[in-house]
Amino acid sequence: MKFMGKIWPRLYIAIAIVFFVAPLLSMARFAFQRIPVISLGKDNLFKRWTIDGLLTTLRDPEFLHSLSVSLKVAFFTVLVLLFLMVPTTLWVHLSAPRWRGVVETVTILPYVVPPIALVVGVSGTYRSIAPWFLASNYSLVPFYAILAMPFTFRSLDVGIKALDLRTLVDAAKSLGASSGRVMWNVLLPNLRTSLINAAFLTITVVLGEFTIASLLLKRTLPMYMAQAQGSEPQGALGLGLLILVLTTILFTLVSIIRKKDSKSINVKNINVGMVP
Amino acid sequence: MALTGISSLGQSDPKGGSHTRTPLQRFQLPVKFKPIGLIPFFGFVGLFLVWPAVSLFRLAIQPTKNSDISAMREAITGDYLDSFVYTIKLSLLTALLGVLLGSLLAASVLRIERPRWFRNFMTSFAGVAANLGGIPLAFAFIAALGTQGLITKMIDYFGVNLSDAGFRISNFAGITIVYLYFQIPLMFLIMVPAFNGLRASWSEAAASLGAAPWQYWRYVGLPLLTPALLGGFLLLFSNAFSAYATAYALSSGGARLVPVQIRFFLQGNTITGKDNLGYALAAWMIIIMLITMTGYLFVRRRAEKWQQ
Repeated sequence: MKFMGKIWPRLYIAIAIVFFVAPLLSMARFAFQRIPVISLGKDNLFKRWTIDGLLTTLRDPEFLHSLSVSLKVAFFTVLVLLFLMVPTTLWVHLSAPRWRGVVETVTILPYVVPPIALVVGVSGTYRSIAPWFLASNYSLVPFYAILAMPFTFRSLDVGIKALDLRTLVDAAKSLGASSGRVMWNVLLPNLRTSLINAAFLTITVVLGEFTIASLLLKRTLPMYMAQAQGSEPQGALGLGLLILVLTTILFTLVSIIRKKDSKSINVKNINVGMVP
Repeated sequence: MALTGISSLGQSDPKGGSHTRTPLQRFQLPVKFKPIGLIPFFGFVGLFLVWPAVSLFRLAIQPTKNSDISAMREAITGDYLDSFVYTIKLSLLTALLGVLLGSLLAASVLRIERPRWFRNFMTSFAGVAANLGGIPLAFAFIAALGTQGLITKMIDYFGVNLSDAGFRISNFAGITIVYLYFQIPLMFLIMVPAFNGLRASWSEAAASLGAAPWQYWRYVGLPLLTPALLGGFLLLFSNAFSAYATAYALSSGGARLVPVQIRFFLQGNTITGKDNLGYALAAWMIIIMLITMTGYLFVRRRAEKWQQ
């Protein structure tokens, strides 16, 4: 990469940072400053900043309801996903390695069916057969688990590959551990980083998902934000920013945990996140 | 869970092999029952992904009430064809720009060595930005580049009026810029490991044999990066093609993108008797994604083969 000289990379990075930060700063200004853009000038740039809009929104019972719906759905999605994918991935590695290619290809299928197509198909099938299912907020759980499947499998797969799985299992077995004990006391602690990585990414997906929730008319957090844009725009923008900050913290936590662990095992590849 | 015995300790033997059986191995299932543990997984995917997707095609090819051509055919004519062309153009352009600008960003960031935290910081930020889609992203860009946006006003101050120039945050150019916000970081995340895979000894070897830097890139670097670039392009294309929430929020539901059009049919537009059209549009989307992702898998398999 020597062809680029010394200054060009820095200049390009600076431009990129402006591109990525400017929309966030604009968002912050609209969320927290009560002056119309038209009358904004040098003299009042730092005046009338307030977080009242955000506070009003945070106290809104409808917001609290949408938050609780989103958090419950996120919790159960993580639960369903891990209960399904951890045994599946372990089974593939221990007992059916020839099926690994098939399972991996199937976990990429959610990328083939865009969320909008999935939700159209879902309402075309489940609406007539099981209307009670789509009426419940928890009907989102299996579909969100499907959306999170590609990176969950990848995260677990990379984590398991980094272990000497068979040695661990055989050693524990030979010392008299039951299958359940092997799972709980040997495998899960060793896969800690993969599990946390997958769980956090799943939570961010669930908290941000709009397409399926809006077409199934579920009152989740993103749905609330989209509606509040009209009624309480400052609060909605502030909320958007707050969620962004929380997501960043979540991501930073994941990378800290990963770094701590990568000292003992090589798990660098988990870094790919949602890149399948 | 089937478990093999101590005899295979340290080295797995996926074919079952001819080694002697230890007492522990009696618990192992015969080979033909091996996939049994995968039934819950395949059942789940079948029930909540494959069945809805396949039903979509079945519903799309059903005869339509008030029309003599099938919904599948109608979904690629007239206005609907236009919106497919519009969506594909947008996805191609944002994927192409994303590949170019994202790779350049990765190359630039990897050249900065001095503040050691900088590279990690950029990777973390890219992770957040690549996953930032939907409503908050649309809000941020409306605040920046909307008609009343902060950046719009700043540019106006310097004498350029974006609105008069025909720019809207909800039109083609506007959506392109917004999509780049997640496309560039996604490509960045793909290219950082790819660039790291190029060993310094290769460029040194090329240089010692008298190759100019451009020759190294033309004959060594670029061919090695091709799978990542091509795979990244296909991934970015599918990423833009299936995006819905951002475009919807930017345009308040009025965008000409296919996903936004599908919504119109799903919300009980039964008066026209054309609900099949919604299914057909979604079915065509899946067909396009199927082609893209097959290409992606092919590229990745080839890349994995080379790595071995």
